[in-house]
Amino acid sequence: MKRGLTFVKLVNPCSGEGAMYLFDIYLQKLFEIKVFKEKCHSWFINQSVQSDGHLHFATPMDPLFLVLHYLIKADKEGKFQPLDQVVVDDIFPNCILLLKLPELERLLHHVTEEKEINSRKYYKYNKEKTLKWLEKKVMHTSAALKTNNINVGARVQSAYFSGDQVSSDKEEDYIRYAHGLISDYIPKELSDDLSKYLKLPAPS
Amino acid sequence: MESGEDATGRHRLHLRPDTLRDAAPATLHLLPCEVLASRPAPVERFFTPAIRQRADGLEVSFRGRTLRGEEVVVPPGLAGYVMEADEKAEVLTGLGRKHKSRVEDDGEGQTRPEPLERGFDRCIGATASFDRFHLWGLETIPGPDAKVRGALTWPRLAAAVHAPVPED
Repeated sequence: MKRGLTFVKLVNPCSGEGAMYLFDIYLQKLFEIKVFKEKCHSWFINQSVQSDGHLHFATPMDPLFLVLHYLIKADKEGKFQPLDQVVVDDIFPNCILLLKLPELERLLHHVTEEKEINSRKYYKYNKEKTLKWLEKKVMHTSAALKTNNINVGARVQSAYFSGDQVSSDKEEDYIRYAHGLISDYIPKELSDDLSKYLKLPAPS
Repeated sequence: MESGEDATGRHRLHLRPDTLRDAAPATLHLLPCEVLASRPAPVERFFTPAIRQRADGLEVSFRGRTLRGEEVVVPPGLAGYVMEADEKAEVLTGLGRKHKSRVEDDGEGQTRPEPLERGFDRCIGATASFDRFHLWGLETIPGPDAKVRGALTWPRLAAAVHAPVPED
């Protein structure tokens, strides 16, 4: 592969629809593209006007969320498979770029069982390991919310946060908010399981 | 970046890395109203000279309405770029076969008809850079709850959500 930065459309692991990502082929890193959009905004850029007031963000993305989407799909067959047979997509064929990320093999053990046969690796989705991995993510994110002084209470709602509204900033509120952030990257069913795993009370 | 024409997710939009190095700083204003057309505008003639420094921020008028604003700095660790997709996208489509990168990608010889989608890869480049912009509100400066301010905290949270988790 040549050096370069390439925007591609890949699956959104939460919704299953298309979303934009940025690959740094040289650094072999994946970035997610999010767009800030709000009604009634436009830009002046030097001596021109740009009608939409959009602001795009490219932020580092954990590729495991995307691979997890394919692992869960492949798990319906219930067998160990090599990764290049798991990450297959007719609608988003650029998913093969994921297989080029060097850190991926190190990360896979968080969410799979693996077997090695004739020096080829075979993987199978493991829900218990995945929930443990997601719990660590939630705890880490919850800590980041605190250190960044993000108000997880009801008054503040930023562009992307779909976390449930709560009235005061308690420990449980941070965890619930972090759970909401992580849930944007996993299927609804897994998000519900994670909620039970974290023993979060159902939102009233 | 809009991907409406890219319905199948098959295509790639290549960012020309040299343009990131060469992008000249631009002056940006985020207005609290929608101007319906995207086009050149004499911002420096009408808007910029009307900006006044007040005790608690900036003031300007646009279409007879008072705007109040302030400078917002791009969060640390990030860089601002203005990007434009190359205008020759349609032409490029027609020239798909002659485009260098595509020839390199096509390792299966010339006799085989090239799949149609190969011709749809496009390029995008940075036309300007910025490390701050002016945020404007109607009558008042957008408060701490403004959506755009929340959006600017997203990169820090994204770093936490996507950081590799520690090993046991």
